[in-house]
Amino acid sequence: MGWSLPVIESMEKLGKPYVVVSFPDFEPYAQENNIPFVSYQLDEWSDSSNSLDLFEKLKAFDVDVAVPLYEETVEWAGALNSIYRGDPRVLNRAFLFRNKAMMKRKALIGGLRVGLFEEVYNKEGVKAFMKRLNQANLQLDGEEDSWVHIKPFAAAGTVGHRLLKSMADIDEKCEDGDFPCLAESHLPGREFSCEAFINKGKVRFLNITEYVHLGYSNFIPEGHYLKTKRDLILKHVQKLVDIFGIEYGMIHPEWFLTENDELNFGETACRIPGGHILELASKSWGFDALAAFVLCHDPNITEEELDEIFPDKDHWPENYHGNVMIYPQKRQFSKLEIPEELNNEPYFVEHTLVPPLSSQKLSGDRAGFGNHFGTINFKGEDPDRMTELLLHYETVDFYV
Amino acid sequence: MLETSERVFDNFEQSFKDFQEATDLTKPDKATKLASQIDILSLTRDGLTYLYQKSGALDKAGIFEGTAWNEPDKLVPYLVKGTLKVGHPSSSFEILSELRLLAYANGDYQSPRISAEDAQSFLEEVMVHNLEFALKEPTEETRNVMSERELKKSFNLFGFIVSEIDLDGVYQKLAEEIKLICAQRPIVTRKARELIRLVDERFDTSGDTKTDKQVRLYINAINAPSEGSKQHTSIEDYLVFLQNADIKTLTAEADAFGYYMNATGLVSKYHPLLLKKLVQDHPQLVPNSLDLNDRGIAEWEKFHELVSTLIMEIVSPDNCQCIYGLSRMLGKNLFSRRPVRVGLENLRKIKLNAQVEKRIIKSLIHPDVDVSALQYLLGGTIKVLGQPLGVGQGNNPTCQSARGISMWSQHAPAKLIDMIITVATQNNLVMRFENRDLTSNLLLKGLLEKLDYNLDPVSVVLVPHLDKIYNEMMKLSSGRGEDPHKWVNPLMYGQWIQLSFASCYDYLSNSILDYDGFIRVFYAAFHPSYNGGREMVYPNPVGIFITSNKGDMVGFHAISLLRIDKDKHGEVRAYFLNPNNEGRQDWGQEIKPSVHGHGEKPGESSLPINQFSARVYAFHYNHLDIKGFLQNVPASELAEVSELAKSSWGKSYFWNQQSKIW
Repeated sequence: MGWSLPVIESMEKLGKPYVVVSFPDFEPYAQENNIPFVSYQLDEWSDSSNSLDLFEKLKAFDVDVAVPLYEETVEWAGALNSIYRGDPRVLNRAFLFRNKAMMKRKALIGGLRVGLFEEVYNKEGVKAFMKRLNQANLQLDGEEDSWVHIKPFAAAGTVGHRLLKSMADIDEKCEDGDFPCLAESHLPGREFSCEAFINKGKVRFLNITEYVHLGYSNFIPEGHYLKTKRDLILKHVQKLVDIFGIEYGMIHPEWFLTENDELNFGETACRIPGGHILELASKSWGFDALAAFVLCHDPNITEEELDEIFPDKDHWPENYHGNVMIYPQKRQFSKLEIPEELNNEPYFVEHTLVPPLSSQKLSGDRAGFGNHFGTINFKGEDPDRMTELLLHYETVDFYV
Repeated sequence: MLETSERVFDNFEQSFKDFQEATDLTKPDKATKLASQIDILSLTRDGLTYLYQKSGALDKAGIFEGTAWNEPDKLVPYLVKGTLKVGHPSSSFEILSELRLLAYANGDYQSPRISAEDAQSFLEEVMVHNLEFALKEPTEETRNVMSERELKKSFNLFGFIVSEIDLDGVYQKLAEEIKLICAQRPIVTRKARELIRLVDERFDTSGDTKTDKQVRLYINAINAPSEGSKQHTSIEDYLVFLQNADIKTLTAEADAFGYYMNATGLVSKYHPLLLKKLVQDHPQLVPNSLDLNDRGIAEWEKFHELVSTLIMEIVSPDNCQCIYGLSRMLGKNLFSRRPVRVGLENLRKIKLNAQVEKRIIKSLIHPDVDVSALQYLLGGTIKVLGQPLGVGQGNNPTCQSARGISMWSQHAPAKLIDMIITVATQNNLVMRFENRDLTSNLLLKGLLEKLDYNLDPVSVVLVPHLDKIYNEMMKLSSGRGEDPHKWVNPLMYGQWIQLSFASCYDYLSNSILDYDGFIRVFYAAFHPSYNGGREMVYPNPVGIFITSNKGDMVGFHAISLLRIDKDKHGEVRAYFLNPNNEGRQDWGQEIKPSVHGHGEKPGESSLPINQFSARVYAFHYNHLDIKGFLQNVPASELAEVSELAKSSWGKSYFWNQQSKIW
């Protein structure tokens, strides 16, 4: 559910029957390329556009499992899978992924560490939240306020996420359109994400993605330090799976690891993560992560098929694969300039940078981190060197 | 040239494999990544060789599918340059496309879509349109729009094509190119020599066609202008030959060298040997070997001591080109000026600053071991003094500095020598700007990021300093609500520059203001039919709009307007120095400056005055002198210029028709 050429390609290669459900815009392309396609107005919910109607349309394709590729198709897939599996709770679980407050509550009940959180409806609500947080943190007069994050209940990644460091920040940074939303305390620790491939309620394969700079760069597999915590992380991910009652699919939780080896749960999604993470994972681990993503959703898949699609249990990648997304540093620029140092960089693999339109100006509005102008891919044996490179190239100006 | 490391080839192979294994769905995405590998490979020679070998396979694998390059038989040679200018990824695809056509032309691959003959003639056409890349001498427009890396890729591509392709089809075009480059009498002759060597190596020029004869003139001028140099092809052999030659033989040698040098502006490496021999043993033959006119002979006779000293001290096989400059200096009676003589004497005695010495040496490709940097600088000074219009900016954005050197060389040669001495000894320069002393060493970066060393020694020494001072003057006079050049030009170049200044661009309203009035002032000041028949005395620093061959606005450029005259057909033309190394350009609207055949002196470019005016945005004049002439200029002429301007660069501006008091 959702349009993704790489996923379609993986399905073709896998030889499994499939059908793409997406917006009518993609239909001509699908027809031209013989892609099985059901056109559906996924942003509309009405008497004529709903999961029961879609279920009927998909009967012709003998569909028995729905796979959400994007945040916006998670409920649709949940609704369909409820029907296929005869379990209404599957839909409710999908809602869990789409409401960050509900998600946190569930995690808290299950015994995961989460920050203090609350649904807020206006600026006053955020201020009251910050005040209570300050009290709990035993703030003295003159001390800085406790940091508060606000995020929309249902949005991918960093879209709409604001960090508020003071009462004044709340007035300056919050807009009426932000509400209602989730307010939560700032979680200490080192942030990273996991991609846990789940089938029959068990984590079949765990990828850990090292976040070098959220929104800019990451690499796979995890570096030296996180690797030593792999068992701890796996234990927590399995716990999350158990608490949420997830049986099939892939989740993409974000965690904060403290110095005392405590894991704080940030949030999780159950669609394809951004930042080309599955592409990097495929390269590093040597498997088709997109195909694996789809297959995990299938209750009828055999153990042999699962074993075949994932890397061997004791396999550890030879190389780290990382990427950095490039955003122009200037507001106005006319040329793409690849610095000489990049050619001579042994870790450099390839890039997808495109030249700007003539004298392009950046527009003011950027959702999340906005659209990047391309990615630079690196590959190498030393995760520390990788970290250094990714941080460095984030600051290099490719657009002048 | 840097070598491409194994890793790059491995990455390419991996990307290529990914591309081949991808279904049609993700092929475009994989092609993007593959293009980034092609981008890197095209930076080096071995990278290109590798791509050349892969080009057929890449084509077959469908790398061009869904792109403009998919049908090689429908490609247009004329469009290649535009695509290269766009930059990556277009330029990377373009380069690969040329490489596969080369492979088809050479029979290394076969295409079902295009024959070897058609591929060959396509590439010939492409070559003809892109000689600026083949010769690594980009035009102002090209340099403006292309990054250094993209330029390198294009240079590299055409270097590769030239070495791998059968050039027969472009013989005539190359011969014409040689003729027109040499007609401009550049000081830096590297480009001309490379082209002549290329033609000599790759063509049989022994025939009797007009082209053969013309090309042989240039080949002989470099390789063997005389009987003696034909028969004694090493420097050592020729020296022995000279020692034993009788006066008759030496006269013939001197006449031959003189003739070829004057006909081509190129000096052969044997010439210094002969000249030194003549100075020592037969000074009466020196004028023959320099092909001097009567004035030059008189000058030589009067100042032969100093000139002999200079010759003995400076000329050498690698430093030979200064002999032409010397002959021009003598022909212009420059030695009759005491300050010039004193200046040259002073320059001989200086001790070079170590940094300056390094810069000079860096600009030389095969320096003679026994010639010092100072000797090269002296030779360079003589070249600049002898050929003021041969000064070029090289591959640098420093047209202002080149324009200055040229102007001082013509009108203040001693001042120029003095400046050279200061910078050569101190690696520093002070100029005054409105009660402020600007010291180049204390200033931050100028326009120049990194000096391209393909320059004459004088420019290599002066330009870094002039550039910084010029830039500082521009900064100091910006924000005054008018074009800073108004104040900078007279103080940078000197009292030869008139103080009134006209610009068609109005800073306050951000528009082109009273354009007709602007051109009226220009015509009243300079057009001989309307200004009372007065000629220009000194060069005028003029700012022009650079436009593409489609007439679109590209950027700004500094040139020197030298004179306005009627050519032999009675057409009024503007003659100017374009410090860009290549006077021939295509500015769109059929506006193509010519360098030869319209009464141009060597180094001058020219255009009919209306076409020239239509690219001018600022010039200096004397407002007192134009009184009484303004009304002479007919409206019809103004309308003509205005039309050309409006439909080209003018499209990028707002036009304000209000009148302005000039």
